[in-house]
Amino acid sequence: MNVLEVHDLKKYFATQKAVDGISMNIEEGGIFGLLGPNGAGKTTLLRMITGIFYQDSGDIIFDGKKFNPEKDIAHIGYMPEERGLYKKMKIGEQAIYLARLKGLSKSDANAKIKVWFERLEMESWWNKKVEDLSKGMSQKLQFVTTVLHNPKLIILDEPFSGLDPVNANLIKDEIFNLAKNGSTVIFSTHRMEQVEEICNRIVLVNKGKNILDGTIANIKNNFKENIYSLLADNLPSQENATLFEVVNQKPGKLLLKLKDNIKPNDVLLHFINAGSAIHAFNEVLPSLNEIFIKLVEGTATARQFQNVN
Amino acid sequence: MNKILLILNREYLSRVKKKSFLFTTILFPAMFIAIIFGTSYLGNSVQKLDIAVIDSSGYFGDSLLAKVNAMDSSIIFSPVKDTAVQSNFRNAGYDGYIIIPPVVWQTGRKNIKFITDKTHGVGTESLIDNKLNVIWNEVVNEKLGIDNEKKIVLSTSSISIKEENQKNKNSNSSVSSTIGYVCGFLIYFILLIYGSQVMMGVMEEKTNRIAEVVVSSVKPFQLMLGKIIGISLVALTQFFIWVACIFLVYTVGKIMGSESAVAGSIVTGIQKSFASVNLPLILGCFAFYFMGGFFFYSSLYAAIGSAINEDVREAQSLSFPITLLIIFAIFMMTVAIRDPSGPIAVWGSIIPFTSPIVMMARLPFGVPDTVPVWQLILSMVLLVIGFLCTTWIAAKIYRTGILMYGKKTTWKEMIKWAFRK
Repeated sequence: MNVLEVHDLKKYFATQKAVDGISMNIEEGGIFGLLGPNGAGKTTLLRMITGIFYQDSGDIIFDGKKFNPEKDIAHIGYMPEERGLYKKMKIGEQAIYLARLKGLSKSDANAKIKVWFERLEMESWWNKKVEDLSKGMSQKLQFVTTVLHNPKLIILDEPFSGLDPVNANLIKDEIFNLAKNGSTVIFSTHRMEQVEEICNRIVLVNKGKNILDGTIANIKNNFKENIYSLLADNLPSQENATLFEVVNQKPGKLLLKLKDNIKPNDVLLHFINAGSAIHAFNEVLPSLNEIFIKLVEGTATARQFQNVN
Repeated sequence: MNKILLILNREYLSRVKKKSFLFTTILFPAMFIAIIFGTSYLGNSVQKLDIAVIDSSGYFGDSLLAKVNAMDSSIIFSPVKDTAVQSNFRNAGYDGYIIIPPVVWQTGRKNIKFITDKTHGVGTESLIDNKLNVIWNEVVNEKLGIDNEKKIVLSTSSISIKEENQKNKNSNSSVSSTIGYVCGFLIYFILLIYGSQVMMGVMEEKTNRIAEVVVSSVKPFQLMLGKIIGISLVALTQFFIWVACIFLVYTVGKIMGSESAVAGSIVTGIQKSFASVNLPLILGCFAFYFMGGFFFYSSLYAAIGSAINEDVREAQSLSFPITLLIIFAIFMMTVAIRDPSGPIAVWGSIIPFTSPIVMMARLPFGVPDTVPVWQLILSMVLLVIGFLCTTWIAAKIYRTGILMYGKKTTWKEMIKWAFRK
């Protein structure tokens, strides 16, 4: 069951094709990474999914039905990249206010906030104002107000920016927890190491189009280049190797690129026959970072302004 | 709808609960009164001058000078015989001197010189002028043989006219003007003060970066409308507190009226002035024009607030044209009060940009004699259409502006946002 489907979504601004025909399906209960360089159209895409913008064309299907912002935004929690809170308002009141805007009743909001505040050790904050909080603390509060109403779909745009490692881990655990309890999380970022750690599936967006879509394991497999690393003693000379090319060589360590139609076993046999003592032999998959750079490289880093008719 | 109520509630309570609300509620009437009395007080107080009078005409005798000195002590004339005072009047303790040349009493004399070492301005000049003329009149009267009895007749006997509207015998143009001024200025202040509050409120949401968080829960239009209505209710609350205070003073005065002469006279004064105007109509129209004008202008202020990026100077320059319109309306109002049936008054009270202020200034002069019913209805209908239009345009600007960061917005861009699909 897909909680969200996006079909050929388009949104053009006066000088930008911000989103130019993106399609994707997001399954229920997973953590989904939305990647892309700056200005790729991520924020515009998210704003359409959250009902802030209307698309020029294309369809958004939320929970099996056509997306109806009026009704459906109560089931979405969105933490935008440009986020903040009312500085002069008391924290408890503020959390209740934001929850009620999502359609919760006052008592319901109150109870849920109490639970969350207890869990994240924020009970003493209730009567403080946001201006008294540090940046990390207000990020935590912002996260709580985003997920408070038990949304089906949680959209987090760069959720860890400004957080120290301890608080980042805390939020990360909560994200895992939410996914485990059935919420779907869309996680938008350009920080690849976080994506590899957290997400099951990703979509890579560039210049308003999606250029890559799939599970992380699949994507890595598709982009693998038959590179193996070998740790061994008594390595033979590599001068007339026919099975592979040497990518990198250090004492006791080789990075090999296998030639076409050569099996790893052939390579292993070659080294065993040569009398090497093998400690480790494993395939090297490209990191998401490398894939990202490979795909995005060559396209202009900043989008050029263009005329859109 | 429910969400607008939530937003409105927050906007209202967060403002009314602030200490500054109580402060301005008390301070504003105090300042209003202080300005009215303060300026008239300051206007009357003129610096003291001691002037040496060297008389060679023979008319300005010591006794006449002493007589006018006794009338008003702000300017003292000291008769001086020694002409040497001219070269060092400052050392002799004078602020200046006047040499009165020989004068023929039938013609008098123009441009007698008042010599000083600094300029005192027109006000002082006319004061001295008046005082010298008091003496001169005595001299001329004496020469003409006019005695005291005739003098009294000359000064008191005059005729004057007073307008009476045959359709409305009670109308009193000075009371009407006063009420008109007060209503017009109240709306003017409320539009300026609370209009800029709307602008600052929108700016705050944008610079705090909460705008996008909120518009993921509610429509931008709901957020804008909630804010405008909330703040308008704050203004209304403040206004009701003032009205309640006046009513309280009035009632207390009425009770005490039988015992205290001063309180009694105030009460009868208020009763008399209210009897000459249609009070329910004025109050009803005030509420209407207040709300209409507020929606009209504050939605424009909201649109401008949404286009600003944290820079207060930008706010000033962008909101200046709107503020100018309101100031222009107050100029129209002063014209309208002098001539409440003239073309400027009529058109100013019909066009929505100025009607909230100008119509409120005209209404106390009477409906339907000074303000025909068709004009009142046309003005109201146009104001409603006007604020629907500005709210609609403002909503489109607001929707785009509130999510735009970093770039300086121009009027041209805002107009583009307003009129695209």
